[in-house]
Amino acid sequence: MGFVDIERARFGYGTEPAIVDGVDWTIGEGAFHCLVGRSGCGKTTLLKLAAGLLAPTAGAVRIGGAAVRAPRPDVGFVFQAPTLLEWRSVLDNVLLPMALRGRPGPQDRARALELLDLVGLSAYADRGPRALSGGQQSRVAIARALVTRPALLLLDEPFAALDAITREELQDDLLRLCARHGTTVLFVTHDIAEAIYLGDRVAVMAAGRLSHTLTVDLPRPRPPDLRYDPRFNDLCRALRHAMDGEGA
Amino acid sequence: MTRGRLASWLLLPALLAAWEGYCRLSGIPALVVPPPSAVAAALWNGLAGGRLLPHIAMTATEMALGLALGCVVGFLAGVVLAEAPGLRRLLYPYIIASQVVPKLALAPLFIIWFGFGMTSTVAITALICFFPLLENTLTGLEQTDPNKRELFRMLRATRLQTLLRLKIPSGLPVILAGLRVAVVLALVGAVVGEFIGGRQGLGASIIAAQGMMDSALMFALFALITALGMIVYQATLRLERWLLNRQSKG
Repeated sequence: MGFVDIERARFGYGTEPAIVDGVDWTIGEGAFHCLVGRSGCGKTTLLKLAAGLLAPTAGAVRIGGAAVRAPRPDVGFVFQAPTLLEWRSVLDNVLLPMALRGRPGPQDRARALELLDLVGLSAYADRGPRALSGGQQSRVAIARALVTRPALLLLDEPFAALDAITREELQDDLLRLCARHGTTVLFVTHDIAEAIYLGDRVAVMAAGRLSHTLTVDLPRPRPPDLRYDPRFNDLCRALRHAMDGEGA
Repeated sequence: MTRGRLASWLLLPALLAAWEGYCRLSGIPALVVPPPSAVAAALWNGLAGGRLLPHIAMTATEMALGLALGCVVGFLAGVVLAEAPGLRRLLYPYIIASQVVPKLALAPLFIIWFGFGMTSTVAITALICFFPLLENTLTGLEQTDPNKRELFRMLRATRLQTLLRLKIPSGLPVILAGLRVAVVLALVGAVVGEFIGGRQGLGASIIAAQGMMDSALMFALFALITALGMIVYQATLRLERWLLNRQSKG
C-alpha cells in the first residue's frame, strides 16, 4: 500500500461517458509521479479527485489509508493559473492558507519569507502580484502551496503558460523544494520532457484510463544538462510512442 | 492633451459670453431666458445673503442620507441574493420588474406614507439608489474567478471567509461602479423628490422660484445643483480610486 491509493476511481456526469473511468494508481511516500495526456483525457479530473475537490462516483481515493471525501489540510494544490489575490501583497498571498485558519504567527511569516527567498522573490514580499511576471507569479503559487508543509502536493499543469527557459528554472525550483521535506507529488502535464525530467514514474492517461506507465530511472538530483542526455531522449521517445499508441 | 484641456476650459466662458450677447441683442424677455449676468447676480444674492444655504444643506443631507441608506440596503441585499441562489431564483423576476418601475412615480404615495418633507425625499432617494448597488453587488460577487473559488475550497475556507476575503474584494470594482451610478441618481432623487413633496431644499426652491416667475433664480439653482452633483461625483471617484489603489498596491 502506498501513501496515495487510487482504487478503481471513476467519475462522470449522469449517463455520459465517464471522464475518469476506473483508474488504479499508487504513489509511494516521497515519490514524484507525473501524469501525461492530451487535453480532455481526464487528467485534471483525476487530480481533483485526489484533492477531494470532486468525489468519485465509484471507487475511492485514499491518502495515508483514509478515504478522501473533502479537501484535506495536508494536501497542497497548484492550479493551472497562479490564482493569486491581486489585492493582497505577495507575502499575504503566501500566508493565505494560514490566514484562513487564524492569524498567521511570527513563525508562519518566517516560513513564508524563507520560501519566497528560496524561489528568489524575497525582494517582492510587499509588492502586489500585478508587479510580477508570469513565472514569478507561478513561483508565488508554489510557495503558497508549500507553506503549510503538505505531505502531498498536487499540481495541474502549473508551467504550461510559461516560456521554455522560465519553465526549466521552475522545474528545478520545484524539485528542490519538494526534496527538502520529502513531499509526495502528483504532477499533471501535457509536456513529455517535463514529465520525464520531473517524475520517478510517469503514467499516460487517455480517454479516462491509464494506458501506460513508465519508470524513469534517471539520477537524482537531476543534473542540469540531463535534458540533453541520450537516455533522457530515449525515455521521451518511449513515452511519446506510448501516447501515440493510445491517441490513434 | 493640454491643448484639449485648455479648449475645454475656454468653452464655458465662450458659451456664457454668447448667451449673454444673445440675450442683450435679441431683446428676448429675461423671464424666458435670463442673461448669465442676472443668473450670477441671483446666485450671489442667494449665497451672500445666506438665503440659499439652508436649502443647499437640506438637499445635501437628503442626498447623503438617501444614498447611504439605499447603498447599504442594496449592498446587503445583493450579498444575500448572491449567496442564496434559491432566494435569487425566487425573487429575481420581481427585482427586474421593480427595476423598470419609475421610482419617482411612487413619490406621491410616499408622501401619503411619510408626509411632506425630508422623510419622503430620503425614502425616494434610497429606493432609487438601492437598485444599482443591488445589481452591481450581485454581478460583482458572481463574477468571482472560479479558479479562485476552487482555491478557497482547497484551503477549506468557510463560506463567510470566502465572501469576505475573496468575493467582496474581487467584486469591489463592479460594486464601486454601481456606487457611482447611485450617486448621480441620488441627486435626481433628492431634487425631484423635493419637487413633489418638499418644503425646503434646492428642488423645492426651484418650484418656489417658478411660482414667483424668477427665471434667473431657477437658473442659479440649476447651477448649484450641478455643482453639488459634481462635488459628490468627484468625491466618489476619489474614494473609488483610493479603495482600488489600496487594494492593488505594488
